[in-house]
Amino acid sequence: MIHLLQINPSTAEAGSYLPVAIQLIFAVGLVSVLMVATHLLGPKRKTSDKLQNFASGIESHGDARQPMAIKYFLTAILFVLFDVEVIFFYPYAVNFKELGWSGFWAVLMFVGFFLCGFTYIIKKGALKWED
Amino acid sequence: MNALILSAVLGVIMMFSGILLKQKSAVRGVAITGLAALLLVNILELRGIHFFKIDVAGMMYFDRFALLFISIALFATLVYFILSAKDMEKVGADYAEYFALIFFIICGIILVASFKSLLILFLGIEIISIPLYILTGADKRNLKGNEGSLKYFLMGAFSTGLMLMGIALIYGAAGTFDVEKMKFAIETPAVLPVTGMLLLLFSMSFKVSAAPFHFWTPDVYDGAPTVFTSFMATVVKAAVFIGFIRLFDETFGTFQVKWQMWLAVIAAVTLFIGNITAVFQQSVKRMLAYSSIAQAGFMLLAVYAMNTSAKEGILLYAAAYSLATIGIFSVLNKLNDYTFEGFNGLAKQQPVVAGALTIFLLSLAGIPLTAGFLAKFFMLKSVIDTGTGLWLVIFAVLMAAVSVYYYFRVIQAMYFKEGKADITVTGRFKWALVTIAALIIILGTFPNILINWLYF
Repeated sequence: MIHLLQINPSTAEAGSYLPVAIQLIFAVGLVSVLMVATHLLGPKRKTSDKLQNFASGIESHGDARQPMAIKYFLTAILFVLFDVEVIFFYPYAVNFKELGWSGFWAVLMFVGFFLCGFTYIIKKGALKWED
Repeated sequence: MNALILSAVLGVIMMFSGILLKQKSAVRGVAITGLAALLLVNILELRGIHFFKIDVAGMMYFDRFALLFISIALFATLVYFILSAKDMEKVGADYAEYFALIFFIICGIILVASFKSLLILFLGIEIISIPLYILTGADKRNLKGNEGSLKYFLMGAFSTGLMLMGIALIYGAAGTFDVEKMKFAIETPAVLPVTGMLLLLFSMSFKVSAAPFHFWTPDVYDGAPTVFTSFMATVVKAAVFIGFIRLFDETFGTFQVKWQMWLAVIAAVTLFIGNITAVFQQSVKRMLAYSSIAQAGFMLLAVYAMNTSAKEGILLYAAAYSLATIGIFSVLNKLNDYTFEGFNGLAKQQPVVAGALTIFLLSLAGIPLTAGFLAKFFMLKSVIDTGTGLWLVIFAVLMAAVSVYYYFRVIQAMYFKEGKADITVTGRFKWALVTIAALIIILGTFPNILINWLYF
C-alpha cells in the first residue's frame, strides 16, 4: 500500500493506470455477471403481492410523493452546514501549536464568517418553527 | 487582491443590508456605492497601490492583464447596476440577496481572471456558477425559469465533473497544480496531458457556450429573469473567456499545435450555429441568447491565435460586447413584449432610446466607428498574424455578415414599422444610455485609451 502511494507522479504514464482499467472492467463485469446469473439460475414465482410497492411489510397505501413543509428541509440542510463546520476544526486542533497565531487568526476569521451566516439565517427566520 | 477581498466582504454586507434596510432604494444605493468603491480600489491596484499583503503561495497572480480585465468587468457591472438594478425588484422578494449573489459572482470572476493554480481556476468557476444557478431560478413561480435553472445546474455540474477529471489527469502527468511548474514536452506530449487538455477544452467550451456544447444556453438565457440574463450573457461569459485564454496560454501553450485545430473547428461551428439559428428567432431575448453564442465564436478566435493582438483584442471585445449587450437588455427589461413586434414604432415614441439602441446593435454587428468593429478587427488580425487559418478568417467575416440580418431586424422594427411600443423610461435612464452609446463610439475611435492601460 505504501509502495503504491510513493509512485513518482512525474514519471507516471498512461500505462501505470492499467490497474485502474482492470478494476473498472472487473467492477462492470461482476455486476453484469451477477445480474444475468440471478435471472438465469433463480426460481421464478410471480405473485400479485410481489408486484406491490414494498412498505416495510405493511400494506402500502397512498402516494409517497406528498408535499412536505419546507422547514424540514431547511433545518436539515442547515444542520449539515453547521455540522461540517466542526470538521474543519479537527485539522486545526491537531496542528494547533505549529500554526501559531496566524493559524489562530485564520480560524477566527472562518468562525466570524460562519457567525455572520448564522445571524443571517436567524434574522431571516429560517429557524422559526411555528408559523 | 484589493478587489477580491472587498467583493467578498461586500457580498456579506449586502446580505445584511436586506435585513437592516427597509427601503429597496437604500439597498440599491449601498450596492452601487459598494461596486463603485470596488472599481476604485481595483484601479488603484492597477496603479500599484496594494492594500493587502497576503501570501497566496503563488496560486494567484495579479498582472496587468488580469487587473485590467477585472476593471472592465467591474465597470460593466456598474453600468448594469445603474441601468437595470431597479428592474430586479420585479423578480422577487429577496432584493438584497440578488446583489449579494452578484458580488459573490464577482469574487469568482476575480479568481478566474488571476489564477496560477488549476485549483483556483476550479474554485473560481464554481463560485461563478453556483450563484448563477440560483439567479436563473430566482423567479420561483415562473416554470420556464425553474426549467432553465435545473437544466443549467445539471449541465453545469456535468461539465464541472469533466473539468475536475481533466485537472486530475493533468495532475497525474505533471505532479503539480501550479501552471508555472508544469512543463510539457513540445513535440510529443504524453497521453495523459493531452487527454486532460481535451477534457478541459470541452468543459470550458461548455461554460462559454461554444457549439457543440451550447444546448443549455438558449433555454437558460430565455428562462432566466431578463435582468439576470443580461449579467450572465455579458460579464460572466467574458470572465470565463479570460480564464480560457489564461489556461490555454500558460498551461498548454507549449503544445499549441495539438489543440489549435480543435479550437478552429469549435470556433467555426460556434459561429455557424450561433448566427444561423439566431436568424430564425421570433423573440428578441432568444435572439440575443443565440447572438451571445455567435459572439463567443468570435472570442474563440483569440484563444485560437493566442498572441499579443489576441490578448489586447479580447479585452476590447469584452468591453464592447458587454456594454452593448447590457444596454440592449436594459431596454428589453422595460418592454412587456419580447418579440420583434414589441419594438415596432419605438423610434417615434422614444427617439433617444431608439438612437442609443441602434448604436448598441451596430456595435454588435461590427459596423465601423463602433467598438464592436475594432473588437472584431483585432480578433481577425490576431488570426492572420499567426499565419495559419485564413479560411477561419473568411468564414468569420461571412458569419458577421449574416449577423447583420438579425441585428438590423430590431432597427427596422423601431424605425420603419408602425406600432405602439409599450415603454416608459425615466430621464436618468436615457442619460445613462446615451453615455454608454457615446462610450462605445469613443472606444471605437480611440481603442488605445483602453489598451494602453496594459502597458503603462
